[in-house]
Parts: sequence; structure tokens; C-alpha cells
Amino acid sequence: MRESETENRVIPICLGLNYRTTPVEVRERIAFPESHLVEALRGVRELPGFAETVVLSTCNRVELYGVLDEVTAEQGFEVLRDFLVRYFKLYEEQAEALSFYHLVAEETVRHLFRVVSGLDSMVLGETEIFGQVKQAYKVALEAGVTGKGLNKMFQQAFQVGKKVRNDTTIQRGSTSVGSVAVDLCEKVFDLQQCRVMLVGAGEMSRTCAQSLMSRGAKSVIVSNRSYDRAVELAAEMGGRALRFDEWEKVLHETDVIISSTSAPHFVIKPEMIEAVMKKRRWEPLFIIDIAVPRDVDPRVNGIDGVFLYDIDALQAIANDGRRERERQLAVCDQIIEEQLTKFGYLQLSASGVSKASVVSEGGLV
Amino acid sequence: MPLTQIFLLLATLAFAGGAVHSLLSLRAGKWNGDRWHWVPVLIGFGLQTMFLYVRGQEVGQCPMKSLSDILLFIAWSMVLLYFMVGSAYRLSLLGVFTAPLVVGMQSLAMLVPNAFPVYPERGKIVALVELHAALALVAYAAFAMAAVTGVMYLLQERLLKAHRIGELFFQLPPIRELARVIFRLVVLGVVLLSVALGISFGLEKAAAGAKLIFAWGVWGLYAVIAVLMWRHLMSPRRMAWLAVGGFVMPFVSLWLIS
Repeated sequence: MRESETENRVIPICLGLNYRTTPVEVRERIAFPESHLVEALRGVRELPGFAETVVLSTCNRVELYGVLDEVTAEQGFEVLRDFLVRYFKLYEEQAEALSFYHLVAEETVRHLFRVVSGLDSMVLGETEIFGQVKQAYKVALEAGVTGKGLNKMFQQAFQVGKKVRNDTTIQRGSTSVGSVAVDLCEKVFDLQQCRVMLVGAGEMSRTCAQSLMSRGAKSVIVSNRSYDRAVELAAEMGGRALRFDEWEKVLHETDVIISSTSAPHFVIKPEMIEAVMKKRRWEPLFIIDIAVPRDVDPRVNGIDGVFLYDIDALQAIANDGRRERERQLAVCDQIIEEQLTKFGYLQLSASGVSKASVVSEGGLV
Repeated sequence: MPLTQIFLLLATLAFAGGAVHSLLSLRAGKWNGDRWHWVPVLIGFGLQTMFLYVRGQEVGQCPMKSLSDILLFIAWSMVLLYFMVGSAYRLSLLGVFTAPLVVGMQSLAMLVPNAFPVYPERGKIVALVELHAALALVAYAAFAMAAVTGVMYLLQERLLKAHRIGELFFQLPPIRELARVIFRLVVLGVVLLSVALGISFGLEKAAAGAKLIFAWGVWGLYAVIAVLMWRHLMSPRRMAWLAVGGFVMPFVSLWLIS
């Protein structure tokens, strides 16, 4: 009975590398461009012993998932590695620099569940990876290179990813200054209607503005002492530049001010903001003060409808977010283990079909 | 214990249980994953409806005569509005804030002396009178919900100002959205109360003087609040305070109405 069950089981494998194992200058050499993904998938599918495949290629990882047929895991990994070397035309020394992880059976499934849940991401708990895996699977499905084994595994992974996000707070909170700014803005405004103004064009304010724009902010105005720099940054973000002596005049038309001038004194004062708030008819105003020394008089936060955050406040929230996510990690892993048991993957291991046994069956260990 | 009071007690327990459960899941950071927080509210609403139906059968008309009956009708309307506003504006957390007020109102309804009097004669149904009273009480419920939303606004504003970014902060809606909901609930209340008061002109038997004066007083107060909100003449924070504080007047006037 056990033997026949084992025979019917599908043994998934994963050959991959990510930001932890391989530096970006190596990773970028074997990243699959989206336009060539179908061709690559078909290439893998044609390799000896590969019944099914999905290729996940993002900026942080390249992973090839497969279901083997009549070859051992060890042989499968070797074939895949050779395929990558051939496909990307790597020199021997480049191929040597690739530091892959080799996962078999429940290790593969556990890894996929963790990837989909954002637990293996550079920013713990980030949600973008869920969409990226979904897209990778969709491309493979449409290319006809998946089958019963990977279809089931990926569908289950999406269920687990949703469960982890719903049952824990792993995606809660922000872990970078840019995402804190976005989260806070979303609790004040509808971001789609949000008009952003940069006073000063520092790197951090650029990051914050880009985060807001990428999440749908309506428009951006850049004002800087160097007008050329303002024009350059505005062009980069699809906004408009303003001369530095004009920014005060349009302050009332702005919902979010990101200030990062190098002025040695406060450039935004309570009297100025009180007048602005009257002109805005008390529509809320969100101010991010990234400058050191600060650009905005802290008394501004006392004005009704004005919410002021300086760099320390943003950083403290980001740190709290990171700590909270780390606290949730054990809970998430517990959920994943429960789901592995529920879907029968741990029984797969217990019944003798583990990495070691698969490899030893082929006589390669 | 009469059937009506059993329904009322069970409804109050359902709302109290729902509020406690919601607060616990909020504290544990599991609000998002908890798909059941609306179930006690739905059960409570069903029991309230049963109460109103049986009580209506007893008194022979819409049960809005005694203070307790009025409190119950307003509490029922509030939950009804919560289901409408909560789903329209994705304000699921509104239930957490509504439930304690509903529990308070229903507890008060049970505790006042001679809470649900038995009238010697069954009342006669006069459609216009029923409509007038029902619309006025639903309007009061809208003002109550504006007050509840006002509390949510003030809380979210406080959290934003004090940089206290926790579970509650993430669950509360954007403050601009809350300000809009307050305004719309106030306008809804004013419109309903205007219709109710308009109907009173057509009644054969005029409403008692003090009752009418207070009703017009409440209408005037909220009409002013609505205009101030519409014209953006005050900060949303002050508006939220007005929505919260303003509800004291209709609440106190309930004693006079009854």
C-alpha cells in the first residue's frame, strides 16, 4: 500500500539562487527576460526527465521548479544547471560562481510556500512576490509546461500565501521610510487624489516621492534651489519643476509636502501653514520633514488637519514594522508546517520519499 | 420573563459579545483574518427585529411610545445603518464602535422604570403618525451613527498626530473618508427629520408643544452643523467634535418625546 502511494506521488524539485546566495552582478546574468520566458520554459520542459516546470525570475531570485520523471533529483539538478550555463552562454568561471540551492520533495514545497508568503523576501512579508509567483505560474500554465503536480502545488501555495497574510500581521506595518510615508498618506487621503510637492531634492525625499507616485499619487511638483536639478528630478518622476522662490505660492494646492532643504533654520512655520489651511478649507495636509536640521517648525503638528512627521518619526515606525514582522515569522512558519501536513507533504517525507531517498534511489549518493 | 424581554436580553448579549470579540481580535492583531466579527451583530439585529415585531403586536402599532421602545427603535435603526454605511464605505470597524452604544442604549431601555408598559388598549395605526415617528427616530439613529463615526475620526486623528501606529491605526479608515461619512450621515439625518417634521404639519392631531419644539431644535442644530460641514467653515476635527457633542441634544430630548 505504502509503496503504491509512494509511486503515485509527484516529487517536485527546485534549483534556485537568490539575494542571499548570489550577488546581484551574478544574478543579473541569469535573469530570464519576460519576453523570453516561454521559450525558456519550453527549453526546460524538453530536458530529459522534466515532466513539468515553472520558472520564477525576479530581481531577487531565479528559481526553476520541476517535476521529474524517470530521473533522480541529482540528475535533474545537473541537467538544469547545464541548461542555465548553455542558455545564458556562461563561461566556466561564471558558472562556478553560481551558488544554487537544491531542494527536493517537501523542501521544495516548504520553500515555495515561504516564497509566496513573503518570508523568503529581502523585505520580510512584502506582498509583491505573491503577484510575481502568480505571474510566473500563469505564463507556465499558458505555455502548457505544467501538469497535475505543479498545478496542485502552486494552487496550494497561493492558498497558503493568502492564509499567512490573513492570519498573521506579517505584511502589517512598513519597513522602509518610503513605505511608511505611503502608509501614513493612505490613512489621511485617497492616494489617487494626492498632490505631492518636494521642497528640496534630496535622495530620501526622492525615494518617498517615488513610493507615493508608484502607489498612484496624482501629481508631483519639485522645487529646489538648483532649478536644473528640480527639472531633472521632475522629469524623472513625470512631474513639474518650480523655481525655489515660488513654492510657497502653490502650497495650498498640495496635499503632501516632502521637505529636505539644507536651510539652517525652519522654512515652514506655523503662521504659513495656518494661512495655507484656511485656503485649503481645512483639507488635511501631510508634511514629511526629512531635513537635518529640520525644515518644519514642530508646532505645525498642533494645527488642525496637519500631520507632521520628521525623519526620526518615520525611521522609528519603520523599525517597529521590521521588529513586528520578525516577531510574526515563527507564527507564519508554524502555519506553513500545518499546511504541509494538511496537504500531505510531510507524509511524503515520512514515507521515505525525502531528498536523501530520492537521490539514493538513483544510486548517486 | 416576557418574550419581548428575552429577545432584548439576548440581543444585548449578542452585541456585547460581538464588541468584546472584536476588541480582543483587534488587540491580538487578528481583525483582518477574522471573518466572523459581523455574525454577533447580525444575530443581535435579528433578535432586535423579533423584539420590535412582538412588541408591535402587543401594542398594536409601531412600538415607539415609551422611552424604552424609542431607545430600542433607534438602536435597531443604528444597526441597520451600520450594515448600509459599513458595506458602502468599507467601514467594518464601525460595528466595533456602534455595538457598545447599542448595548448601552438597550441596557438603559431595560433598566428605566416601567420600561415596556402594557397599554390598556391596543393602539390604532395611523399611517402618517407612524411614518412621522419612524422617520424621526431613524434620523436620530443617523445622528447617533454620525457621533460614532466622529469618535472614530477623533481617534484616528489622535493616532496620526501622536505618531502611534498600531493595529487600530491600520484598521481605521482614512480620516478624509471618515469626515465624508460624518457629513453624509448628518445630511441623511437632517433630510429624514425634515420629512418627519413636514409630515407633522399634515397630522390631524398636532404633536405636543415641547416635543415639537425640541424636534425643531434638533433639526436646527444639525442643519447648522450640516451647513458648516458643507461650506468647510471649520476644521474636520471640530466638525467631528460637533457630531459627537451634538448627539447629546437628541439623546436628552428622547425623554421629552416619550
